[in-house]
Amino acid sequence: MGMVSHARDELDDSRIVAASLEDPEAFGELFRRHSPRLHAYIKRRLGLVLADDLVSETFTTAFRQRARFDGRAEFSAWLWGIASNLIAKHHRQETRMYRAFARTGVDPAEDGVADLASDRASAAALGPRLAKALASLSAQERSAVLLLAWGEMSYAEIAATLDLPLGTVKTKIHRARIKLRKTLPEEKIDG
Amino acid sequence: MDELDALRQMRTALAEQEHPDRIALRTSWRADVKQRPRRSFRIPLVSLAATAAVAAGAVVAVSLAPSESSAPGPGKNGAVPQKGNVLLVAATNAEKAPIGKYWHTRTISGEIHAVGKSAANHYKVDSRQGSEVWTDRSGKGRQGHLDLPDVPLTAQDKQKWEAAGSPNWVRIPDAEGAGRTVALQMNPPAGRQAPFRMPANDRFFGLTTEQIAELPTQPKALEKALLSLEGNWHAYTTKTETEPIRALRGQERVRALSDVAGTLLSTAPAPPKVRAAAFRMLAALPGVKAEGEATDPAGRIGTVISLPLETTMPLGLFTAPKQLGTYRRQWIINPVTGKLLAIRDLVATPPRGSRKLPTGDDGKPRSLTAENMPDRFHRPGEVAAYQVFEVTEWTNAEPPR
Repeated sequence: MGMVSHARDELDDSRIVAASLEDPEAFGELFRRHSPRLHAYIKRRLGLVLADDLVSETFTTAFRQRARFDGRAEFSAWLWGIASNLIAKHHRQETRMYRAFARTGVDPAEDGVADLASDRASAAALGPRLAKALASLSAQERSAVLLLAWGEMSYAEIAATLDLPLGTVKTKIHRARIKLRKTLPEEKIDG
Repeated sequence: MDELDALRQMRTALAEQEHPDRIALRTSWRADVKQRPRRSFRIPLVSLAATAAVAAGAVVAVSLAPSESSAPGPGKNGAVPQKGNVLLVAATNAEKAPIGKYWHTRTISGEIHAVGKSAANHYKVDSRQGSEVWTDRSGKGRQGHLDLPDVPLTAQDKQKWEAAGSPNWVRIPDAEGAGRTVALQMNPPAGRQAPFRMPANDRFFGLTTEQIAELPTQPKALEKALLSLEGNWHAYTTKTETEPIRALRGQERVRALSDVAGTLLSTAPAPPKVRAAAFRMLAALPGVKAEGEATDPAGRIGTVISLPLETTMPLGLFTAPKQLGTYRRQWIINPVTGKLLAIRDLVATPPRGSRKLPTGDDGKPRSLTAENMPDRFHRPGEVAAYQVFEVTEWTNAEPPR
């Protein structure tokens, strides 16, 4: 092949997946590109320890099944879809952490994370209320609204990731937002 | 501030992105490539004829440990001792196996998928994964993922696949997604044999290499130690709590103990005396029976040990039953060398009907339907899945660089 290795930087994800069938090491580039954002998102939902585990499991699964990635979806949607399934397995654990946060005002997910006090001051009062509402969401509602707020995805990207119709995603997010809004103090509502 | 803004200000300390090298270091995600199969296998079975393997060109020849031909024991190589005591004979011979600097295993697992629309017009494909591991006595070492192509199961299946134009990709139904399909890749790109090397530092049902080395060497004491192992030992449950095997009763306990014993006798770096104890422990479990001879997926002859399981679903992974048929699990052992050669699951009753599954977090409706199952055209007694332990040995040979 005439391809030189530095060209990998310019290759799109699906080409790298294809290349990794012959050269498994190539898959490492996908880890480099996608792990930071995915890791941050899972950390935010499940805490640091589970995030390490699930990122590992997500990429392991993706690597193992890469021959079945057919390129019709974006690689990132496929990858985040795998991650979403794994996160779903921890639905109860996640709910327990939100409940504990709501009850005690101390967020177990942030256990062991350097405390950026100033950053969190404004949200501190709202955190437990939001956590209580998040605990009450269904798994789908929670994933959809958190992919929006924390994953910074568009509705279309969320639909692709969760493999749901766009309309369904909008409905789930709408419902989730209503439940979250109810927990906020009145004067905070402007939207 | 609306509720989305409020959410965005929540847990911001956790939202910080880290450098991928740091994440890779901490997660050592590569190390898990090998770890998955151990827990998540379904066992496919195949009479993966040697011809199919050779045709695929990617299977490494089975290397026999020195003990394989020289092991003391009743009878010559291949001679099968009496049925009643076959596990005890295996135990005696397992105990005589040499120990070395390195623990070396090569494992291939396969799952048999039907390709095609009808029982009359389909062929079967063995979808395979393999891994090779070298570790030292501290449990550190290297492991590689063997990138094996999927292959037609029998010579007849190969003819049908060739008649279909030898497609590189074949599509099969997604067992859980009505109407969706997934693809299997049949032709290995050249040069895929180079194993994907990564650090190995495995645990086996939570046990480290050091803990395995110190397991009791008497069967009753070993069983007692294993009864304290914590895990999720159910084929399906919505509970996330772990519990010791001791909390299980009846067949569930036999299932959990036999799963752990199977690992101690295959991929786990167990010393010979621990292996011997595992064989003896298994011999004392209710319902475990020696049957006739069989050839394992790598073409080796051994004795069949049948296990009384209610389900062959992997333990601890699912929240709902994922099978529509019933299955039997068999071990194939070589009592003369004291080795577990393979584990295979045979179809007892082929899949029938359908079952709704709880909706996943991805919101996809999920259901199982017999017409989407990989073994939809299997007949009773045919292999659905397998694991073959091509190499399990302590050796002083140096691992490949």
